[in-house]
Amino acid sequence: MQNLHNSQALTNRDPDDIIAHGPDGEVSVSQFVARAAELAAKLPNHPYVINLTADRYEFLLSFCAAVIAGQCTLMPSNRQAQTVQQVADDYPGSYVLGDSTLEGIENFDIAFEDLQATAQATAPGIPEQQLCAIVFTSGSTGAATPNRKYWNTLRSGALNNADSLLKGQNARLNMIATVPPQHMWGFETSILLPLFSKIAVSCITPFFPQDIVNAIRSLPEPRALVSSPAHLDALLNANVDHVHIHRIFSATAPMSRQTARRLERRFAGRVVEIFGCSEAGTFATRKTSSEDLWHISPDFDLDITPDNVVIRAPHLPDDVVLNDVVELAGKRQFRWMGRDQDMVNISGKRGSLADLNHRLTTIPGVVDGVIFMPGENSKRLAALVVAPGMEPSDILGQLKPSIEPAFLPRPLYIVPMLPRQETGKLARKMLVELFEQTRRIKAQQHEGSTNS
Amino acid sequence: MQPQSEYEHEVAELIVESLNLEDVSAADIGPEEPLFGDGLGLDSIDALELALAVTQKYSVQLKAEDANVQEVFGSLRSLSAYIAANTS
Repeated sequence: MQNLHNSQALTNRDPDDIIAHGPDGEVSVSQFVARAAELAAKLPNHPYVINLTADRYEFLLSFCAAVIAGQCTLMPSNRQAQTVQQVADDYPGSYVLGDSTLEGIENFDIAFEDLQATAQATAPGIPEQQLCAIVFTSGSTGAATPNRKYWNTLRSGALNNADSLLKGQNARLNMIATVPPQHMWGFETSILLPLFSKIAVSCITPFFPQDIVNAIRSLPEPRALVSSPAHLDALLNANVDHVHIHRIFSATAPMSRQTARRLERRFAGRVVEIFGCSEAGTFATRKTSSEDLWHISPDFDLDITPDNVVIRAPHLPDDVVLNDVVELAGKRQFRWMGRDQDMVNISGKRGSLADLNHRLTTIPGVVDGVIFMPGENSKRLAALVVAPGMEPSDILGQLKPSIEPAFLPRPLYIVPMLPRQETGKLARKMLVELFEQTRRIKAQQHEGSTNS
Repeated sequence: MQPQSEYEHEVAELIVESLNLEDVSAADIGPEEPLFGDGLGLDSIDALELALAVTQKYSVQLKAEDANVQEVFGSLRSLSAYIAANTS
């Protein structure tokens, strides 16, 4: 048991370093610390804060202010009103920071422009065992599971990431992130890393390819981009101007070696892919253009069984079990063999196919049905459903209230029957064939109707 | 529901086709209904797919100053107006 009174500084950066590119230009560490302390004294006196602030610099500042004030930041799995409301109901004494039109929850509007403090050289100490954040992960149902993050967990995780992601990087990196600061991946890289490594993060979160390029160009070199395969694919496929990106960090879904090579050629930098989850944070990395094997980050140990992986680290409050199939290769490396057949990952959210299928087949009027991933590179689930007299919209309407929107099957086709074998099993090959065949027929019907 | 203009109908067809919206027909998309969230229910993966489809068909690069996708893709009407205004 660690001493409750041990504390560690909010940041280990040099007071004169640049920590952020804010709305009004560069922000030094000493100015940042001073403003975070000033804001901490102004926050409403509540135990929990739901931080919906979209501007990344303002999120960084208000998150640190909450930490200094001893408040725990709640990070819902998405910004939808229903999700935020649920978190607020589960944690009485919560208030919302940032844009919110939610009724019945106290909203605190920060006047960032009124913060006047200019410099504070010494960063405040934070108790190691202070609960600083709860990151919510949503399964296929959208029901949220809380992951508790203590200061020691966050700080050690960030120091670990600085070690594995920024090895050999001496000059300050100027960072743009396309992922939200409230998602674990964006939180670890764009919020926690700047507190513990030579990174200055930009306040803007670009989305479309040309926005990303413009945002990067607005920063001095060397630059880093934190993103996901969905954004990076879009960036590669769009005809955007050339820009130099020193490091590209990708997570949330697997990236192909070909994509990594194309990115490195196009932006003259190095792609580093991250393996992590909300429960454990980043625990392995690889240079995807030249490596298949993942390097286990310092401090982490993986206990590998045929069905799952147990992740341990001194800074994690609990062991984390992942339903991924991996094979150890050497002491500190592993090969990813795939996910448990039941688990799917859509848009950075993990869900269970068994659970989704149960929800589909228990809809009144549905005789049989299956939700599945139609291809290796599919971004969406698809469904084939036997439901005489029903329309796809009837079924989707029934699914919508109870499942996370990212898991809604698209397309959903009504078919006369599923190609079940005598044992009742569905062979993947037959399923995909029926799906492709139905899709072709639909496309022909569509052409026929638009030409008539 | 307000009627779609011919141009809006064309954009609606692009939305339905590029996003595999099997349960929606182009004509059913209300020009002023929200495309994201509670309306048509699109999400950020859709925004990227749709942006690519728009770039390919109309040679228009979508830009959002502060990643406020909801504003650019607020509705069929606002998206159509944006494409029309940026098509040379």
